[in-house]
Amino acid sequence: MRNITRVVLLVLLASMLVGAFGISGAQEAKVLYVANIGQDDIPHLDPGLAEDVASIQILEATYVGLTTLNEVTVTVEPGIATEWSVSDDGLVYTFSLMQNVPWVVYNTDSGAVEEVKDADGNVRYVTANDFVYGIKRTLDPNTAGPYAYVLAPWIVGGAEYNGGSGSADDVAVAALDDYTLQITAPKATPFLANIYGMWMALAQPQWVIDEMGDAWADEGTFQSYGPYALKEWAHDESLTLIKNPFWPGTDYVGQAKIDEIVFLLLEQSAKLAEYEAGNLDFMDDLPTADLDRIRVEYPNEFTVSPSSCSYGYGFNTEKEPVNDARVRRALSMAIDRQAITDNILKAGQIPAGFYMLPNLTAAPSQEDYPDLAIKYDPEAAKAELQAYLDEKGISVDELPPITYMTNETDLHKSIIEAIQNMWRETLGVEVQITFQEFGVFLDTRKNDAPQIFRYGWCYDYPDAHNFSGELFRSDSTQNDPNWVNPEYDALVDQALTENDPDVRRELYAQAEYLLVNQDAAMAPIYYYVETQLTKPNVERTLSVIGRERFEKWDIK
Amino acid sequence: MYQFFVRRILWMGLVMVMVSIITFLLMHQVPGGPFDREKALPERIQKNLEKKYHLDDPLLKQYLDYMYYAFIPRVTTGEWKPLPENDHLINLKLPIGDNAYIRWMNFGPSIKSASRTVNDIFRDNFPVSAKLGGAAVAIACLIGMPLGTLAAIRKNTIFDYLGMGIAVLGVSLPIVTLGPLLRYIVGVELGLLPPTGWGTLEQMIMPSFTLGFASSALIARLTRASLLQVLDEDYIRTARAKGLREQLVITRHAMKNAMIPVVTVLGPLIAALITGTFVTEIVFGIPGMGKYFVTSIGGRDYPVIMGTILIYAFFLVFANFIVDIVYAWLDPRIRLS
Repeated sequence: MRNITRVVLLVLLASMLVGAFGISGAQEAKVLYVANIGQDDIPHLDPGLAEDVASIQILEATYVGLTTLNEVTVTVEPGIATEWSVSDDGLVYTFSLMQNVPWVVYNTDSGAVEEVKDADGNVRYVTANDFVYGIKRTLDPNTAGPYAYVLAPWIVGGAEYNGGSGSADDVAVAALDDYTLQITAPKATPFLANIYGMWMALAQPQWVIDEMGDAWADEGTFQSYGPYALKEWAHDESLTLIKNPFWPGTDYVGQAKIDEIVFLLLEQSAKLAEYEAGNLDFMDDLPTADLDRIRVEYPNEFTVSPSSCSYGYGFNTEKEPVNDARVRRALSMAIDRQAITDNILKAGQIPAGFYMLPNLTAAPSQEDYPDLAIKYDPEAAKAELQAYLDEKGISVDELPPITYMTNETDLHKSIIEAIQNMWRETLGVEVQITFQEFGVFLDTRKNDAPQIFRYGWCYDYPDAHNFSGELFRSDSTQNDPNWVNPEYDALVDQALTENDPDVRRELYAQAEYLLVNQDAAMAPIYYYVETQLTKPNVERTLSVIGRERFEKWDIK
Repeated sequence: MYQFFVRRILWMGLVMVMVSIITFLLMHQVPGGPFDREKALPERIQKNLEKKYHLDDPLLKQYLDYMYYAFIPRVTTGEWKPLPENDHLINLKLPIGDNAYIRWMNFGPSIKSASRTVNDIFRDNFPVSAKLGGAAVAIACLIGMPLGTLAAIRKNTIFDYLGMGIAVLGVSLPIVTLGPLLRYIVGVELGLLPPTGWGTLEQMIMPSFTLGFASSALIARLTRASLLQVLDEDYIRTARAKGLREQLVITRHAMKNAMIPVVTVLGPLIAALITGTFVTEIVFGIPGMGKYFVTSIGGRDYPVIMGTILIYAFFLVFANFIVDIVYAWLDPRIRLS
């Protein structure tokens, strides 16, 4: 009898245990292991200071801007501002913010995401004042935020304050009440809603920044309010995000479906090894040497999508012989871009006829404007060069020496070696290749650029202006070709304030024509692509903006 | 003896100061700066950044400020906020007054990572490198010394050729080849060990071996050559003549003297390995300090360049100091004076 009781008890106990484990099994946390933010440590998790893709990737998972960018359609969508209105003159933006979104912090002791409370024990909700503080802190010259320069020109008083001549009080950003934010721009342009949604215009937690300075944005003290919170940051090794249960979710920025995301900071081939060993669910930036093998071995996991960057060569328009547009056009038209993307890059990169990416708002595509874009044309190239030589009365051997310069990476090296060969065979022009260490190269390019130099640009916000007015306008810091064309300046200025998208596209097409074709101040070469591997059980969106929206991802 | 220590410590200080001056001048001499970007920053932003990190001060002031904060202890009282600029390696509470502390060694911010300081790199990354380097040195000695000894006492036999064959392999197979090879074969294909990462014992095996193997070759060759030389000496003949067993001749008499060249090399080797190794750390994804030696220079992160060079210089002079002491112990003819 006693034995039977024991058996019954044991069975009961066992079934309870199984039940308990069964439940915990069903609730097992979904953890995603990813490697898409490079091999070095993430520089800053501070919205006022962030400037690189890795930092911005983490910020966009932990914060939500006034507006957000749809990663597939590249259009502006509501963020924490559910709606906004624009004054008739297009200058005053009034944002209505979501209410009851608490600031959160991960508590290492309790192992949970917790709401941030003030000294009286009240929950701190994200308010318009946090945005006012955040925007002014970004613009504060003492913060020295690198990306203040993208925000400053678009808020009245912003450029003056950031440049040290104005004051914070004159910056035209104001909280009308706790949940209404008003920003006034000095100039109306179609992409303002885009700019105000960027990371440097996020709300920032004043109370912790006052206490800790730049040190706040680290494990244990990093406060945020978006779909994820920062759980752990093992510097130089990994960073872990955990779902923020207090983010209410909207139609555009939903609640996180995956409980934890572990970002591993690994070098290109090291992350491929981890992926192949089955320890990573997602990686990007695949080694070119492995692409052919990856295509065969992982056909269902390998994806290629457009990226946010463009690659090209600039000409120093002040140095002989490339101070003559005919020489520049000849060099540009002698580049067989298709051969480079097919034989060297191999991932499906797109040969570029314009420098600006075609998927930007108001950007022209080379398919729509084939006559304005530059393209491979060896006969025309020869003719252009001959016209120049005839005028000077010299032979091609007597051409002043031409130097090309870049920092040394395998990619840049193999591209210029191919192009050097094309120039030699098509034009008979011998170009000298020089490599410099990256920092030295940047310095040389800025101060005393050689005839030809490598050039690259990734957009900050997806509008054609970011690829034209901020780059090649004659007064731009980025204008390393030292190219001045008043007609170009007038076109991009007109496009900046034009509202009709079709008219804008037409204007930018004309401007790009001057840049890459008529004056050929630079030679576009190709548009980058993202190469990625994703495990088949991961549900994802295919982003084309260079960052992922992980809150939309799920594990099946 | 006492005099020797005092003199050596003063010399070490002088060497450190010279290293800091040369490093400081060289890094500011190189073109480019910490705020150079592929997308160049506008001038006013550059100015704000230079002001924030005091790079707009005259070079001499920058240097003196650096040395002052790094090496002169100071006493602070009152409220002390955890700001990056307040981060000192050593904080000792004083029994006097309210919140009085002696604070020492502030090596400045990391310009690249605003929320971190050079002290954070020392605290978080140096222990990792030290552990990896220590394991590598141990492996190097455990492989190298027996191989070298065996090769010397069995000179021109199969042991000699085999041992030296392994040594040549170690010298000619650089870490940049051996590392990824091991990672792929052992980590991916066989799945025996995790390909990358740091923390568990399994994760330590491959990188320690990779790093240790290259150095073991060096130690094996040195041990062999030095032992062969010592075995020809008169006192070894004497030891043999008085009828000692060969094993005792080697371990008691020959080994100690033969170790002198090995110890000479071990000093700088230990200093180099424990302060971090770039390639091994990158290949195996190890959060050590080695990559900062390289990335800080590429990024012109001035405080990090200074910090990493100084810590390496410190371990180098310190290791040489220890080597000198060990000499005296190995060979009684050498005196510390």
